[in-house]
Amino acid sequence: MERPVIKSVNFNAFFGTNHVVKNVNIEIPKHNAIAVMGPSGCGKTTYLRCINRLHELTDGATSNGEMLLNGEEVYGMHPIFARLKIGMVFQRPNPFPNLSIYDNVIAGYKLNGLKLSKAEKDNIVEQSLTKAALWNEVKDSIHKKGTFLSGGQQQRLCIARAIAMEPEVLLLDEPTSALDPISTSSIEELFHDLKKNYTLIVVTHNMQQAARVSDKTAFFYMGELVEYDDTKTMFTNPKDTRTQNYITGRFS
Amino acid sequence: MRNVNIKYRVAKSKSIQIIIVLLAFIVILPLLAIILYIFKEGATKINWTFLTKIPKPVGEAGGGIVNALLGSAIIVFVASIIAIPIGIFTGIYLSENKTSKLAYWSRLSVDILQGVPSIVIGIVVYFWLVKPFGTFSSLSGSAALAIMMLPILIRSTEETLKMIPFSLKEAGLALGLPYHKVILKVIVPCGVSGILSGVILSIARIAGETAPLLFTAFGNPYLSYNILKPMHSLPLLIFNYATSPYDDWHNLAWGAALILLTTVLLLNIITKLTTKRWNVQL
Amino acid sequence: MTQFEVEIEELKKEMINMWVLVESQMEKARQAMIDFDKDLAREVVLKEKKRVNAYELKIDRDCENMFALYQPVAVDLRFLLAVLKINNNLERIGDIADGIARYIIELPEPFNKDILEQTQLLRMFDDAMTVLSETKIAFETEDTTLARSIFKKDEMLDEINLKANNVVAEYIKGNPDNIMQALVVLSIIRKLERVGDQSTNIAEEIIFYVEAKVLKHHKKA
Repeated sequence: MERPVIKSVNFNAFFGTNHVVKNVNIEIPKHNAIAVMGPSGCGKTTYLRCINRLHELTDGATSNGEMLLNGEEVYGMHPIFARLKIGMVFQRPNPFPNLSIYDNVIAGYKLNGLKLSKAEKDNIVEQSLTKAALWNEVKDSIHKKGTFLSGGQQQRLCIARAIAMEPEVLLLDEPTSALDPISTSSIEELFHDLKKNYTLIVVTHNMQQAARVSDKTAFFYMGELVEYDDTKTMFTNPKDTRTQNYITGRFS
Repeated sequence: MRNVNIKYRVAKSKSIQIIIVLLAFIVILPLLAIILYIFKEGATKINWTFLTKIPKPVGEAGGGIVNALLGSAIIVFVASIIAIPIGIFTGIYLSENKTSKLAYWSRLSVDILQGVPSIVIGIVVYFWLVKPFGTFSSLSGSAALAIMMLPILIRSTEETLKMIPFSLKEAGLALGLPYHKVILKVIVPCGVSGILSGVILSIARIAGETAPLLFTAFGNPYLSYNILKPMHSLPLLIFNYATSPYDDWHNLAWGAALILLTTVLLLNIITKLTTKRWNVQL
Repeated sequence: MTQFEVEIEELKKEMINMWVLVESQMEKARQAMIDFDKDLAREVVLKEKKRVNAYELKIDRDCENMFALYQPVAVDLRFLLAVLKINNNLERIGDIADGIARYIIELPEPFNKDILEQTQLLRMFDDAMTVLSETKIAFETEDTTLARSIFKKDEMLDEINLKANNVVAEYIKGNPDNIMQALVVLSIIRKLERVGDQSTNIAEEIIFYVEAKVLKHHKKA
């Protein structure tokens, strides 16, 4: 069995004394799309932000337990390294408004002072935008600022920016909840292709989306990882009553 | 019954509208009056001699204000060099640290500083920089003006940066940027327009300040480039000449007033334009 | 194509494969009957039956997954509902072929040539197989006109079935020592008539999914 790309062992997260993520044990295999779903406040976003160590930037936020990226402890390395290997796409598209589309895509290199030749930069920009299904739409205005892009296009730009860094894992925090249905489905289609090169972890409060896009689904409830299984099984025959209640909408 | 009520309310609404517009108009009147009057008096006094010669002794015709013109420019320039870096970085610090003790006391100090009378600042700088060194100097004048610039710079930088959404910072951090790079290369560039307008506004504010320069730069009848020695400036010139009994000097004062006014107006207009041009659509 | 569309295409392919398998079962049973080839008959019962059953289970499971994961509506929903039922119908046709093959295996000796002709058994077999193949084409090409023509052809099968009692009774009177064979022929005729019924059901499902018209229990003009 191939080593999982992300593995958590007895992982907990706190906001001060508030125990928000309780004892999570999970293994996420490579080149899969994993959906993390659950009702509001169940700890799914907090858990996601623990993976790339954004959680600890909040005042009073702490965590303990093991979080392994390809066997290496994420909390043992410098947070910058962790974030270079783990990309993130947020709920609201947030391309850098003062940079052109081109500069946005290579922002991870440019702003970090990582030197690249022009040919390398051009290549990275074209590859990333192609993988994000945006190249054809913007190739003629690539040096313009991205303000004319629609919400869905901006989000794809953010995805391109994240994958330009060639991360091991791509975290997506409710990536389509701010978008209209057509943009949403175009980005969901993107996931099927992105899976081939990256591992995706998608937090979503829309369980139909979880059903459509993921190979495996994790169901969080009140901070606990209640069930984690193949998506097909989760949605046809879940093992835990809480999962079944959530999926069938029987939560009061 | 109903009809009457509505008519009354419509009439009331209309009359209040008219009053508001009228009052806004009244505000513009004094400004227009000042500008027009100074233009009228000063426009005829400005010529090439005016701009390039130093003042002549009393009684002699001719003479100009070149020493005050250059003096003002140098004093303001040096003040900017001192105040801008300090102001912007303090503004950055305050926008990033909302709760620390240092932030609390800094903010308090900035608020108080904003209210200190300019002449008091002048006196304080006199005791710090003029007395110990035994000489008036334009550097001490710049120091006093810099102290006056700080509150505006710090405030506008802080407010501009606070308006930038947190999501941009997160985006930068998630890309693996170290914190200081996120601030300097992502947040600050987005706020350039606001910061720039703060800079220009602070310059406009101190360009015409007289009181702090009274005991620091002091004034100089001759053209001087030495910042460690006394230097003349436009406000000082106006202060001295306007109250003098000599007509020649009155003329010089009117011309200087016009130049000062125009400069401040231009700076304000430039602020508006830069805000639009450099504005980053968030 | 979206992922969902890809899976619908896969499902269609699987259905066609199952269809082909069932057709092969019928063809082998027919050939076994004509040639009195018990080995061929055993193939139908042992090998092909297993594969048909496996297909049925897989298609059922795939439909269940697609309902759960994609919440289909409109034509997609009708398609999946139709596939579930057609799946069932095809499996029953497979059972029929299996049953016919079992008769062949139990026969002590080959059929008499004239009984096959007098009872029109061969003709019926051919008709039944045509009808089955036409349902496959109608499904693949979404051809509802072809689907509707199935109803007429089924009526012909019904006719032969109705007449069969008398025809076989006549034959028995004329050939009293061949009663067993005659009875087997009658059973096979009954089974073939059910192939027609199952195919009619399939045709109804195809029309349902393409046109959203329900023709079940409806008089077909």
